[in-house]
Amino acid sequence: MKIKGTLALGAAVSALAFSTAHADTIRVGVIAPFSGPFALYGTQYQQAIETYQAQHGTSVGEHEIEFVFKDVGGPNPDQARALAQELLIREKVDYLAGFTFTPNALAVAPLIEQSQTPTVIFNAATSSINRESEFFLRTSYTLWQVSEPLADWAYDQGIRTAITTVADYGPGIDAENAFRAAFEEKGGEVMDSIRMPLSTTDFTPFLQSVRDAAPDAVFAFLPGGPPTFTYTKTYNENGLRDAGIRFLGTAETEESNLQALGDQAIGLTTAYHYSEAHDTDANREFLAALREDHPDAVANWAMVGAYDGVHLIYHMVEAAGSDGPAAVESALGLEWESPRGPLTMDPETRTVVQNVYIREVERNAETGMLENAEKGMIATVGDLGWDR
Amino acid sequence: MRNLILPLACLLAAVAAFFVFPYDLAFLTRIVIMIVFVLSIDLVLGYAGIPTLGQAAMYGSGAYAAGLFSIHVWGDPLAGLAVGALAGAAIAALSGLVVMRARGLTLIMLTIAVAAILHELANRARGLTGGADGLRGIRVDPVLGLFEFDFIGRTGYWYALAVAVAVFVLLAVIVRSPFGLSLRGIHESPARMTAIGASVYWRQITAYVIGGAVAGIAGALAAQITQLVSLEVFAFALSAEAVIMLILGGTGRLTGAVIGTTLFMTVEHIAAANDPFNWLFVIGALVLAVVFFLPAGLIALPRALTGLIVDKGGRDADRT
Amino acid sequence: MDLFLNIAVDGVAYGMILFMIAVGLSVTMGLMRVINLAHGGFALIGGALAHWLGREVGLPFWIAATLAIAGTVAIALPLERVLYRRIYGFGELQQVLATIGLTFLMIASVNLWQGSTLLAIDLPPALRAPVDLGFRTLPAHRLAVIALGLAVIAGLWLLLERTRFGIRLRAAVDNRATASAHGIDTGLIYMVTFALGAALAALGGIFGAELLPIDAYYPLRYMVLFLIVVAVGGMGSIAGSFAAALGLGVIETAARYLVPDLATLAFYGIVIALLAARPQGLMGRV
Repeated sequence: MKIKGTLALGAAVSALAFSTAHADTIRVGVIAPFSGPFALYGTQYQQAIETYQAQHGTSVGEHEIEFVFKDVGGPNPDQARALAQELLIREKVDYLAGFTFTPNALAVAPLIEQSQTPTVIFNAATSSINRESEFFLRTSYTLWQVSEPLADWAYDQGIRTAITTVADYGPGIDAENAFRAAFEEKGGEVMDSIRMPLSTTDFTPFLQSVRDAAPDAVFAFLPGGPPTFTYTKTYNENGLRDAGIRFLGTAETEESNLQALGDQAIGLTTAYHYSEAHDTDANREFLAALREDHPDAVANWAMVGAYDGVHLIYHMVEAAGSDGPAAVESALGLEWESPRGPLTMDPETRTVVQNVYIREVERNAETGMLENAEKGMIATVGDLGWDR
Repeated sequence: MRNLILPLACLLAAVAAFFVFPYDLAFLTRIVIMIVFVLSIDLVLGYAGIPTLGQAAMYGSGAYAAGLFSIHVWGDPLAGLAVGALAGAAIAALSGLVVMRARGLTLIMLTIAVAAILHELANRARGLTGGADGLRGIRVDPVLGLFEFDFIGRTGYWYALAVAVAVFVLLAVIVRSPFGLSLRGIHESPARMTAIGASVYWRQITAYVIGGAVAGIAGALAAQITQLVSLEVFAFALSAEAVIMLILGGTGRLTGAVIGTTLFMTVEHIAAANDPFNWLFVIGALVLAVVFFLPAGLIALPRALTGLIVDKGGRDADRT
Repeated sequence: MDLFLNIAVDGVAYGMILFMIAVGLSVTMGLMRVINLAHGGFALIGGALAHWLGREVGLPFWIAATLAIAGTVAIALPLERVLYRRIYGFGELQQVLATIGLTFLMIASVNLWQGSTLLAIDLPPALRAPVDLGFRTLPAHRLAVIALGLAVIAGLWLLLERTRFGIRLRAAVDNRATASAHGIDTGLIYMVTFALGAALAALGGIFGAELLPIDAYYPLRYMVLFLIVVAVGGMGSIAGSFAAALGLGVIETAARYLVPDLATLAFYGIVIALLAARPQGLMGRV
C-alpha cells in the first residue's frame, strides 16, 4: 500500500515539483489556529514570519519563498490532516510548518512521510512526535527539556521538599514525571503529586492542601489562559507565597498572558527557553523589527519558535530547494544565534538544543510592565524526554 | 416519486463534486462524514423529538472503538465500521435507559453529562487511548480488499460517500416504516401515543440506539480517514455544531441534514480561509438569518419562495 | 476537622460564585421560558466593559463595575426589542439556534474589539486582602461574593413575591393572553425582566471573574456549567438554582480535596444521578 501510494503521489508531486522549480517559488504551508480561543498562536506565527521576511527578504538564493496560511481552529486532527492534503495537493507546498497541538502534528505524520515534506513544528511539545516521521523538525522545546533543569536548579537552591500540581492530561503528566524524576534523583522529596482535572475552575482545594502540607515549593503545569490566571491568583490569595512555599513553573508566566496576571505574578519562578526580556543584541534586533510593523505585538515563546522555524526553512531552501530529504539532511546539526540564545538542531531528536533560563517575574522600572527577568542559565539542554 | 428528486440531486452533486473539485477531496470527505453524523441527530432529534446536545458520546465511542479494533485486531474498514456502530449503539442503549426518563432541559443536560464523562474516561485511560496526544497507529486495509486508501483521498471520498448513501437509504426506510411513523406520533403528541397503547419510552430508546449506531459509524469513518482519534471526538462543541447544522437545514427531513451540513461547512471553509479572525460574524449572521426568515430550515427555501409567489397571486385574486 | 471546615468554606464560596453567574439565566430561562444560550454573552459583555473601563479608561473598580452593568443593560434592551421579542414565540429548537447565533456575534464582536487574550478585571486592594478566619485565611472577595449572592437572592425574592411587578410577571408568564386582557402591559414586563436577567449576567460575569476569567470565548467555555446549575435547580425556580449552586459547589470542592483526579467524573456522575432521580430539578415546577 505504501509503495503504491508513494508512487501515485510521486507522480502527482513530481509534476508540480518541476513546475515550481522552474517558477522558482518555494511554498510553505502553515497550519495553525487563526480563529477561536487559540487564535493568538496563528497571529503570532504570522507576525514572526512577516518580521523575518522584513529582515531577510522574501527570497533566498534563487528561490522566492511564499507562505500559505490555513486555519485549523484548535486541537482538531481531522481538520489538520485535510488541510495538509489540501496544501500538498492543491497549493503544491514544499514545506509544512506551524502545529500548536500534538494531535494535529501526529495526524500529518503519514502524509509527510509519504510525500517527503520537511515539516517544522513551531510549538507542539510532546517528545514522541518526532519519532513518527524523520521529516519532523522542532524549533520550540519539549516538556522534559524545561522541567528537569528546573528540578535540578530548585534542589541546588536548597529546596528539599516539593508537591507537584499538574493539569490531568498528557502534557501535565509528562511534566510531573520529568520534575519528579530529576528532583528525586538529586535527593529531594516529592511529598505529593496532585493531578487537577482540566475543567477545574476553582483551584483553592488543591492549593489549600498544598499549604497545609507546607512543602518548600509547589511545581505547577497548567494549560495557558484561564487556568493559569486562576491558579496564580489562588496561590497568592490563599497565602502560599506568604507561607514561603515557592512557586515553580514553566510556561505559566509566558508573555502573552503576563500583563493580565497583574501584580500577583511578581516573584513567580519559572524555567523556560525564552523571555522577551532576554538581554542580547539578537533579541533586541528581533524585537525592534517586530515592533516596526506590529507596534502592539507581544513576543513570547510561540513567536520565537516560529521565527526560528522560518530561519530553519530559509536555510533548508537555500541548501536543497524543494528536495525534502536533502533539506532535512542539511538542517541536522545546524547552529545559529536566535533571539533566545544559541541553538543547535540536534541530529538525533530533531529538536533544538538550547539554553534553559531560570526567571523571576519582576516589574520593569522603566516601562512599568511585568517581565520574566533571567536569574540563571542552564546551558545547552537537548530533548531530555527522547528516551523516556 | 417527488420525494426522490432532492436526494438524487444531492447524490448527483456529490458525484459531480469529485470531478469538479479534484484537489479538495479531503475537505469534501469531511463534509460527507459530518453528514452521516448529522443524519444520526436528525433521527434522534428531528424524528423522535429527543433534544440532545451530547451525540458526540456515540460518535467518539465509535471512533475509539474502530481505531482500537484496527490497531489490535483487524484493519478491515467495513469490519471497523461495524465495530464503531456496535460501540455507538451500546453507549446509546446504556445511557438511553437513564436519559430517556427525563424531558426537555434535563434530558439535554443528561446527554451532555454522558459525553463529558466519556471524554474524561478517554483522557484518563492514556495507556489505551493515548489521552490528549491522540490514538495513533491506525492502519486501514483496502476496502473490500480491492481499493487502497490513497494520498489524494479518492478512495476515501468514494468510501465515505458510499457509506453515507447506505445510511441515508437505511434511515429513509426506517422513518417510513410503522416504527418511524410511531416516532412521529410520539413527537407530535406523546400523550395520544401512550393512550393508544404504544410504549413511548422503549420506542425512544430504540430510536436513540439506531441513532447511536449511525453516529458510531460516522466516528469510525473519521478515525479511518484521519488515522488518528483525539479527545475532541467527545467535545460539546462537536455535538452543538452538528445540531446547528441540522436546524439550519431543517429537522425531520433527511435531506435537511444533508443540505444544512454542506452549507454550514462550506461557508465556514470559505469564510475561515478569507478572514479567520472574523468568520464567526458570518456564521452568526447566517444562523440568525435562517432562524428568522426560514424557521423551518433551508429545506423550506423553495416552498418559502413559491409561497411568496402564490401568496401574491392570492392577494391579486382578491383584488379582482 | 480542619478538612471538613475547609470543604465547607471553600464549597460555599465556590457555590456562591456558581449561583452568581447562573442566576441571570435562571431568570430568563426559568421565569420567561426562553432558552437563552446567549446568557454567557451578556456576562462577557459586562466583563469586557468592566475590563476596558478599569484598565484602559482607568476608572476605580466600583464605578467601572456599575457602568459596565448599566452598559450591558443598554445593549440588552434594543436586542430585546428587535430580536428577543420574536424569539419568545419560537419553538425550542429555533430558540436554541437564534440565541447561539447571537452568542457567535457577541463573541466575534468582543474578539474584534479586545482580541482573544484574557481580559483581567482588577479588584480594589480591600477585596484582594486575605481575611483571617481563625483556622485559615480566605480572600476577601470570596466573602464579598457570598454577601452579594445572599443580597441577590433576597432581593429577587422580595421583587418576585412581594411587589406588584412580581405578581404581574408571574401572571404574564403563566398566561400571556389573559394577563394582557387584564390590562397588564406584558411587553413592558418582559422587557424589564429581560433587562434584569442581563444585568445579573453582567454582575455574575464581573464578580465571578476571579474564578471564571473573562475572554472572548467565555460564553461557549462555560455554557454547560451555567445550564447544569439551572437544570439541577429546576426550571423556573430561583431558590432551586441557589440550592443547586451551593450543593454542587460543596460536592465538587469535597471531591477536589478528597479525590483530586476523580473530581470531574464525580461531578458529572452526581449531576446525572441528581437529574435522573429528580428530572424536574431540585425545586422545579411540575
